[in-house]
Amino acid sequence: MFTSLVDALLLFTVTTPGLGLLAHKLNWKRLVETHATLGFIVALIFLTDIYREVSANGILVIVSDFPPNSPIGVCLEVDALSVFMAAVYVLIGFIVTVYSIQDLDGDTGVPGYFALLLGITAGMIGVVVAGDLFTLFLFWEIMCVCSYALVAFRKEHWAPVEAGFKYLIMSGVGSLTTLFAMTLLYGMTGTLNMALLSKALSGLVGGPWIYLALTLFIVGFGLQAGMVPFHTWLPDAHSAAPAPVSAILSGAMVMTGIYGLIRILFLLFTPFLGAWRMIMSVFDVLTMFTGNLMALLQDDVKRLLAFSTIANVGYILLGLATSSLLGLTGSLFQILNHAIVKVLLFLCTGAFHRQAKTRSLQELAGIKRRMPVTSTLFILGIIALAGIPPLNIFWSEWAILIASVEEGMLTFSIVMIANLVLSVAYCLRVIQTILLKEETSLSKKASEAPALILLPIFVLGALCIAIGVYPGPFRVVAEEAAQAALNIQAYVQAVLG
Amino acid sequence: MISLTYYLACSAILFLIGIYGLIVKRNMVLLITLELMMNVMNLAFNDFSRHGATGFTDPLAHAFAIVSMGIGGCIIALGLTITLHVYRHYNTLDVRKLRRLQS
Repeated sequence: MFTSLVDALLLFTVTTPGLGLLAHKLNWKRLVETHATLGFIVALIFLTDIYREVSANGILVIVSDFPPNSPIGVCLEVDALSVFMAAVYVLIGFIVTVYSIQDLDGDTGVPGYFALLLGITAGMIGVVVAGDLFTLFLFWEIMCVCSYALVAFRKEHWAPVEAGFKYLIMSGVGSLTTLFAMTLLYGMTGTLNMALLSKALSGLVGGPWIYLALTLFIVGFGLQAGMVPFHTWLPDAHSAAPAPVSAILSGAMVMTGIYGLIRILFLLFTPFLGAWRMIMSVFDVLTMFTGNLMALLQDDVKRLLAFSTIANVGYILLGLATSSLLGLTGSLFQILNHAIVKVLLFLCTGAFHRQAKTRSLQELAGIKRRMPVTSTLFILGIIALAGIPPLNIFWSEWAILIASVEEGMLTFSIVMIANLVLSVAYCLRVIQTILLKEETSLSKKASEAPALILLPIFVLGALCIAIGVYPGPFRVVAEEAAQAALNIQAYVQAVLG
Repeated sequence: MISLTYYLACSAILFLIGIYGLIVKRNMVLLITLELMMNVMNLAFNDFSRHGATGFTDPLAHAFAIVSMGIGGCIIALGLTITLHVYRHYNTLDVRKLRRLQS
């Protein structure tokens, strides 16, 4: 119905709670965990199928049968950009699921957790394959509802509950803002299909309503992407959620907001390129500076990483603002690299929290001596985050920088370089604390994390180095995705035939 | 037939009431304003669907409204669950008391 990939994930989402009950009655350990992991393996297989189909035939269009032979109803459109984003989501979902198997041993409601994890992945993939705004909104809300529940998962503590409520209100308003914009577009053109909208809006000169719709879309998707000044939910939600959930929020869900911006701005608002380029440039400077300056002040490691996510969103937005092929390639490549590095770092923080029972940087001092493997991988991630070659993030940040210089946005390039220096400052502080400082009473008690927790972190560390040393093939995939995002003609033609 | 302007004005007024509630109310049951604003969008959607072409109503808007009512129900159910847990931890429903994370 919604491509084999989303269908499979939705099916596994629905069956997981039932299996949880069965596992509880029959006292089978690890049944739910195995089931969820299997779900992601099936998703990976379907993903390769879809990738092959899209690279062979171009854009894949799936139209519902009602009303017959008409692109007005529910429509899915899978192009290289969708496949790229879906690959990031499935990869992260899989790794986070494997990590969660042992991390959640002390918690209740584990079947629900895995169902929500599958559900949020299904929602995110649904958003990226949607061909009309109706489907996009539906999957967007599936994703949001799952993420509210995941943030407030450890409800026996006060912090997740408070963060969850705050996130629900803010994100709810964000979704309503996008809904408002969709209503306006529908009122103006009489359709919600993105290809038809793109065609209808291309002839439009302007006017207050279209600019209102543009602003509302930027606010709504930007809120989910953690764009300053709509970012206040992000540090709270990331620090209060369980570590694997923070990983999936930061690596994948925030990037769905970016995907929404890419799709809407490039496809629908092409005639207003000048207007939205200016808006995005202003927002990216604000986002970068706020993220990096606030990260310098944090003691809670997860809060620090959350602010660094905001800074990275700023770099990605700069790539968007250049609106050139190179800039968009850099942005998409940065989405992949940032996802890998941030998930690595959040999972390491989770391992520290599990073993040392603290998230404070001061109390984690000198933990390298007690948890050598986790700390080494954590430091690797931090070095990558600082943008040091030859690790992966360097290549994407470099592409964004070059693109901004080529497009004549020299001021913004200088702002980005200043921000990269700021990010190196807090990265060095973290490395120094973990590596060199005297041990505290809490970090002395810690011991190395179990193998099942280290395995996913290790895989991410290997990916980090692999992409850093051989960026070529990954960059090519990102470039294909960027070309698909810029090729509006092909997207519209695929629906109209 | 009542003209589109009246429907849209009604939507706009309801939307402003929603925004007012969201900003001013201190009780956590302000969640209901989210629901109100979402339904305003459904109303506006259905207005547009009736007035796009004469004698024809676009069924897309009805489908959209039904789905988005379902979604609204999910969000409210989840929000009230979280509200319940907030009450257990904070013994109040005042949103201004939810400030421990900032300090």
